[in-house]
Amino acid sequence: MKLIKKYIPLAIVFVFGILTLLTYYVPHKHSVNFLEAMNKWENIVSAFAFFLGLISLFYSHYAKISRKADGWGYSIFVYIGFLAIAVPAYVSHGKNMNGSSLTWLGWAFQYIYNPLSATMFAVLAFYIVSTAYKSFRIKSLQAFVLFVAAMVLILGNVPLGQMIWEKLFGWTSCAISDIVDWILHVPAVAGKRGIMIGIAIGAVVTALKIIFGIERQYLGKD
Amino acid sequence: MLKDKLNAVLKIDRRWIFLALAVVLFGAIMHPLGLISNKISRDTQSAYDFMNKLPAGSFVILSLDYDPATSPELNPQAMAVARHAFSKDLRVGVVTYAAGATALIEKVFSVVPGEFKKEYGRDYVIFPYQPNAVAALTQMASDIYGIYDKDKDGKDARSLPVMKEIKNYKNVSLVVCIAGTSMPDAWVAYAGDKYGVPVIAGVTAISQPGYGPYLQKKQLKGLLGGMKGAAEYEYLIKTPGEGTSGMDALSLAHVMVAALIIVSNIAIVILKYL
Repeated sequence: MKLIKKYIPLAIVFVFGILTLLTYYVPHKHSVNFLEAMNKWENIVSAFAFFLGLISLFYSHYAKISRKADGWGYSIFVYIGFLAIAVPAYVSHGKNMNGSSLTWLGWAFQYIYNPLSATMFAVLAFYIVSTAYKSFRIKSLQAFVLFVAAMVLILGNVPLGQMIWEKLFGWTSCAISDIVDWILHVPAVAGKRGIMIGIAIGAVVTALKIIFGIERQYLGKD
Repeated sequence: MLKDKLNAVLKIDRRWIFLALAVVLFGAIMHPLGLISNKISRDTQSAYDFMNKLPAGSFVILSLDYDPATSPELNPQAMAVARHAFSKDLRVGVVTYAAGATALIEKVFSVVPGEFKKEYGRDYVIFPYQPNAVAALTQMASDIYGIYDKDKDGKDARSLPVMKEIKNYKNVSLVVCIAGTSMPDAWVAYAGDKYGVPVIAGVTAISQPGYGPYLQKKQLKGLLGGMKGAAEYEYLIKTPGEGTSGMDALSLAHVMVAALIIVSNIAIVILKYL
C-alpha cells in the first residue's frame, strides 16, 4: 500500500519534474515533443481539477443550506448564478454572438454577469475613498513619507491634479509627471524587485523540495 | 466648540462620503469637462512607438485577459491598441486566458475592425479561451496549432489567410497583453525572455507600479497603466474614446480623495494643539 500511496507518486513527481526542468535547457526535437505532450496532459488534468472544484463548491454550499448555517440564503445564489450562465452556455453551444445578435449566453453575460461583476468592483472605489479619509493619518515619519508619495501619485495621475500642481508649484519648474515617473521607476522598482527575487527564490526552493520528495503535503495525510 | 465640530468632521458617517463621491462621479459623467493630460507618460509613448514601427502585415498577438470588473480601465486600452494595429495594417490574433473576457473581446471586435474595413479570417482571428495559460504559452513556442488548431467558431486555424506563414513565436512580431490578472508576467517569462518576442502590457492603475522592473530591463517594451494609459494611447492615435471621457470622472475622484485626506489630517493637527 505504501508503494502505491507514497513511492510511486514520489517517483512520478521526481521523473517528470526533472524531465520538464531539462526541456528548458535542451532545445532538441524529443524535448519539444515531450513538452507538448506534457502541455496536453496539464490541460486534461486542469479540466478534471476544475470539475472537482465545482463539485467541492456545490457540496460545501449544499452543506451550508442543509445546516441552515449563518448566511445560508446566499448559498442558494451560488446555484442560481451557476445555472444562469451554464444553461444559456449549453443552449448557445458556448457562443456569445450569432452573427450580429446576442445568443442566450451573450445575453446572460451582458445583462447578468457584466453588471454584477462591474458593480462589485465599482463599490470598492467608495470604500477606498471613505477608508482613505478615516484611516490615512500622519502619525509617524513613515506615514508622512507614504502620505507625500500618495499625494504626488494621486495628483500626478490625473489632468486635474496636474493642473492643481502647476498652479501651486509651477514656479519650481518641476513637472509632477516627472516626479511620478521617478517614484514608479526608482523606489517602486527597488521594492518590487526585492519582492520578486524573494518570491522567485522561494518558488525554486519549494519546487526542488517537491521534486526531491522533501515536501510531501500534496500527497495528503495518509 | 471647535473641538466638537472637528471631532464630528473626523467621525462623519461614511455614507455622506459615498454620496459625495457618487455626486462627483455622476456629474463628471453627465457633464464632461474635457480635461486632457498635459504630458504623455514615457511607458505609453514607448508602447505606441514600438507598435508604430512594425511593418504592415506583421503578426501581433493580442492577449486580452480581463473581465467586466476591470473592463472600465482595460477595455478602452484594448480598443485603442486594436485601432492602432488595424490602422497600421497589422495582422491580429486574439487569445484569452480569462473566461470572463470572451464576450468582451467579441464586443471590441464587433466594433473596431469595421472602422478600418478589416475582415475576420483575413486580417484578424479570435481564438477560443484556454484555461491553462502556461501550457498554452509554452506550446505556442513550438507550434501554435498544437493549442489553437481551431478558431472560436471551430474553423481550421491553418486555413485562415491571417495565419499564413505563422507557426510559432518566431513569426510573431509583438505580443500585447492587456490584463487584469498577472498574465503579463507569464508572457514575459514564457515568450519574451525565453524566445525574444517583444511584449507590451496594459494593466490596471493599481497594478502599474509592479511592472517597473520589467520596463527597466526592457522585458516590457511599453506599458499602459489604467484609464490614464488608455487616454494617452487614444491621444496618440488621435481617436478619443472611453479612456479620454473617463478621465474627467477619474480626475475629480482622485482630487476628492486627496482633499479628504488633507482635510482629515489638518483636523487632527488642529485637535492636537487645541
